[in-house]
Amino acid sequence: MILEKRKKYLQIALNSTLKEAENIIKSLPISERIIIEAGTPLIKIYGKEAISKIKRWAPSGTYIVADTKCVDLAFRDVDMAVKAGAKAVTCLGVAPIETIDRFINECQKRKIDSMIDMMNVPDPVSVLKKLKKLPEVVILHRGVDETEYSKEKQLPFYQINQIKDNFDIMVSVAGGDTIDEIQKAIFNGADIVVVWKAFYRSSRQTSQLAEEFLKEIR
Amino acid sequence: MLEKNKKYLQIAFNRSLKEISSMIYSLPPSDRIIIEAGYPLLKTYGIGAIRKIKRWWERKSFRSLSFASYVVADLKCMDRAFTEVEAAAYAGASAATCLGLAPLETIDAFIRRCEELGIDSILDMINVEFPFEILSKLKKQPRVVMLHRGVDEGEENKEKELPLHEIERIKSVYDEVLVAIAGGETIEEVISGVFNDADIVVVWRPFNENPERILYITSEFLKEIK
Repeated sequence: MILEKRKKYLQIALNSTLKEAENIIKSLPISERIIIEAGTPLIKIYGKEAISKIKRWAPSGTYIVADTKCVDLAFRDVDMAVKAGAKAVTCLGVAPIETIDRFINECQKRKIDSMIDMMNVPDPVSVLKKLKKLPEVVILHRGVDETEYSKEKQLPFYQINQIKDNFDIMVSVAGGDTIDEIQKAIFNGADIVVVWKAFYRSSRQTSQLAEEFLKEIR
Repeated sequence: MLEKNKKYLQIAFNRSLKEISSMIYSLPPSDRIIIEAGYPLLKTYGIGAIRKIKRWWERKSFRSLSFASYVVADLKCMDRAFTEVEAAAYAGASAATCLGLAPLETIDAFIRRCEELGIDSILDMINVEFPFEILSKLKKQPRVVMLHRGVDEGEENKEKELPLHEIERIKSVYDEVLVAIAGGETIEEVISGVFNDADIVVVWRPFNENPERILYITSEFLKEIK
């Protein structure tokens, strides 16, 4: 585990273009509590180069997550993420159990953190109970399309403690982008808060926004 | 673009782009071959891989029979359907895949955007216990439903069978939908897929493991898929 359990982290997901990614990274404040994510669309559009370039632009030692959303062929995803220089890689909680087990095992062998993304999983605890080994991080996640088309869908904050009561594991919350939702996630015990909307395009406010978010996450 | 009464062989490519280029040039020209840019390939090279594969297969098909080349982008979309479909269509894909495990909002948006952009939607049912249940909840049906046993599942659980029984169930209710079967790799499995009325059989292992024999293997498989 490369992250510290007592710290709270802000994970900034980059999902637009590589050019924007570069501008955003360069305007971020330097903080060991900032995690940078190569988002799924970025990886699908640019390939593994998205990860290695983000790594190159970020301050040395930055914790970089490759959001590959593995659903099969776990070995290949982990291998690619390691070679591109990521410190963590994601697998879907809806993937076959055999894939998740292989994924976590392979991550441990290659010394990279495993993150299980629970998007569209109604009961994350039951998935975790079926696994041979636990991942380093569980991501509770409301998708962008879900949020857009079903405005009533809430972020499952109550699941943070359900998971922490049962397992000694870090919990990340993704899918909320307002200060209010970030506060709620932290208040409910989240260790990592993932945001993307405010960092989709770089602007003069990028640095200030990151500072504000970091202030909320303590 | 796919015809309802034909049977297709879909070959998923997952080696390096250089190797794939010579593999595609070695294929027998046939309008019953579908070329897939596999999920690991996309994540390694990005959508540029689709564009290149499309160009290679087009050259090959143009030189022979002038049939329309059909290339699938195996996006396995889980969220942000619009962005992903647009990226695939822009790169020249004829079809793209979405996970049956994705939120319904994503699947609905995916199918709609595919229709708007004129490409086929493929719903990949990997790890979906009851594909039928998902289909019944959708606003519109996808063009293709792909029944799929994953590689990791198949290797770890030798007893896991291909869900062949679902093919007829789906076709009897949704008669416009084509059914693809993925996860079987032997000639026997391909034969039983077609015997159970699959329209598309997806394969990758024998092709990617023996690139130098691809012409022979493809011809043998095509013989069985009629």
